Amino acid sequence: MRFTIEQRPEPSAVMRVVAPVAAIALTLVVGAGLFAALGHNPVAMLDAFFIAPLNSLNGLSELLLKASPLILIACGLAVGFRANVWNIGAEGQLIMGAIAATGVGLFYPNPDSVLLLPLMFLAGMAAGMAWAAIPAFLRARMNTSEILVTLMLTYVATLFLSWLVHGPWRDPAGFNYPQTAMLPPYALFAPFDDAYRVNHSVFITAVAVVVMWIFTDRSFLGYKMAVAGAAPLAARYAGFRESAAIWIGLLAGGAAAGVAGMAEAAGPLGQLSPNVSPGYGFAAIIVAFVGRLNAFGIVLAGLLMSLLFLGGETVQVSLGLPSALTRVFQGVLLFFLLAADFFIFYRIRRVGGQN
Amino acid sequence: MIKTTRRQFLKYGAVGAAIGATGFPSILRAAEPLKIGQVNASPAAEIGWAKQHALGIDAIKAEFGDKVAVTVIDNIFMPQDAERVFRELASAGNKLIFGTSFSLGTPMQKVAPRFPKVAFEHCSGIVHLPNLGTFEAKYYEGAYVAGAAAGYMSKAGKIGFVGGFPIPDIVGPANAILLGAQSVNPKATCNVVFLNSWYDPGKEKEAALALLSQGCDVVCGMTDTGTCVQVAGEKGAWSIGYASDLAKFAPEFHLTAFMMDWTSDYVRAAKGVADGTWKSEERWDGLKAGVVKLAPFNKKIPAEAQAKLVQLEADIGSGKVHPYAGEIKDQDGKVRVPAGAMLSDKDIRATNWLVAGMSGKLA
Repeated sequence: MRFTIEQRPEPSAVMRVVAPVAAIALTLVVGAGLFAALGHNPVAMLDAFFIAPLNSLNGLSELLLKASPLILIACGLAVGFRANVWNIGAEGQLIMGAIAATGVGLFYPNPDSVLLLPLMFLAGMAAGMAWAAIPAFLRARMNTSEILVTLMLTYVATLFLSWLVHGPWRDPAGFNYPQTAMLPPYALFAPFDDAYRVNHSVFITAVAVVVMWIFTDRSFLGYKMAVAGAAPLAARYAGFRESAAIWIGLLAGGAAAGVAGMAEAAGPLGQLSPNVSPGYGFAAIIVAFVGRLNAFGIVLAGLLMSLLFLGGETVQVSLGLPSALTRVFQGVLLFFLLAADFFIFYRIRRVGGQN
Repeated sequence: MIKTTRRQFLKYGAVGAAIGATGFPSILRAAEPLKIGQVNASPAAEIGWAKQHALGIDAIKAEFGDKVAVTVIDNIFMPQDAERVFRELASAGNKLIFGTSFSLGTPMQKVAPRFPKVAFEHCSGIVHLPNLGTFEAKYYEGAYVAGAAAGYMSKAGKIGFVGGFPIPDIVGPANAILLGAQSVNPKATCNVVFLNSWYDPGKEKEAALALLSQGCDVVCGMTDTGTCVQVAGEKGAWSIGYASDLAKFAPEFHLTAFMMDWTSDYVRAAKGVADGTWKSEERWDGLKAGVVKLAPFNKKIPAEAQAKLVQLEADIGSGKVHPYAGEIKDQDGKVRVPAGAMLSDKDIRATNWLVAGMSGKLA
């Protein structure tokens, strides 16, 4: 008796629903087993991981604050991913967005202007797009791999940021430590309530999700890009230009990442230091795929990733677990989610009795 | 309807009297341990910066036993996350919260005003608030003595220095090592390299090997690893440890280490919070207070030189010798400290220049 893997003629509609549920169920079982094996009460652990972070207004505020940049960037990246344009360098585009926005915030001649925040928004978006335009140009003109160029430009952006905060932008009153001065009050997003950190930048993410949904599901251009991704030759035959897909795909990701960088600088950070992003640009790639490159899915995936992160901290604070264990658990969930997806497109079949 | 019998009445009365006599709050205090939190930017480790701070927590536990409950959160490097963790610890009832990295400063400054009844202690911080105190070590005092040891033992008169980041807390001690070496051998020089990482053993090994191939025969690494000591030992070169005693990485070649001992800072803060006398302080101590210490000198250092080193250590502790006494010129020959003067405390904490005799850049 043998088994083979074969592609389903049609993606399975049943598995589409069953896969994520099964993945979460398997994660809970494996996670509970893992915690029990290490001598912790699995129920208390899962409660601390998934329930406790959502139990207070502050927890919800933190969840949104963490999920917002992930969802925003993932929406931008998904536009490109749908057309097989692989922008792996959102992290670098985010950093450039944060740099440009902070530059405007620190050096705009009138720090009390209500125009400051909108200008920072535009600067952040433009910088993210400019950083993404480099791989777009190289790919469209010279067929250079955008995967490599976007990734390597991330290192360039990191070093540029490091140079700025160690050198020309260093806070003159900061004892020579590598960080800029704090942004003036008008350069910061106002929080909804002083007691919580979540701020008005979540509206930007909400708008981005709607725009992304309209573009991918309701516009002809979005349809053309999806065709270009699924069947490049057919797309060319139909007269869809590949370079348009490359430019739109990369610029959408760059704009979203740049704005996310601006929102970090003008939100929870309030200044630049050598590290502005906890890897949002890379985590957003996972969010985009766990969310199946679809606006609604990305929102759920972004919230889930943030919850995993916050839950990991909660078990450290409330139950004293080592951070390594919480990361293992996070990895288990992502593994099952992506592995379960496999069964939407493939099935395992028993073949024959011979052999 | 509630009927109260005489017996019940008496019983409750007795309980009430007992509470009145002993005082309610003290009963609570006895039942609930003082909650203390610590947030670290790096993962837990066996040696180095993280270890020395873990020893601080151990000292609190040893002193207070089950009267304290400590929560340690490791690996919180990003300011966005740090702010949430500090809030969470404060909301969870921790009355004293330590942050052990400079990078945690801005988040602590944002969180502290929201929890005025919680005491925050920031190691290597520069900003003070009514409930945010700082503590820091005078690394340069120990570094100067270690540098003098290098001066006695180096044949080439060339020291190699690997720094984590080019921040004042690292650049200053690098200068002090060379000044210490020059106090013994005026021709001593030093090559510096910065990794821009606290923990990158691969890169650090390359840096150490490069320094050795440039002719340095003493190597010191101000990072979170023992790599420099280990690599130097394998190549038969001397080394200086930092943060912890790193002799175990190269027992033959480890000259000494300038170590930090934060236990007094930790215990003092915990005592203050426990008895209600805690105040936001700016503590900056060195050899005298024992916050900076030197590891045992290598036996291969001649007895005469060892005696001088011990004397130097005592003289710096008593203030007779100041490591940054003039005249000190920088790399470009500009006089930074005129003869007869001393570098001010503020300038020491903001050092962003290298002394004459240094090769390398702050980048």
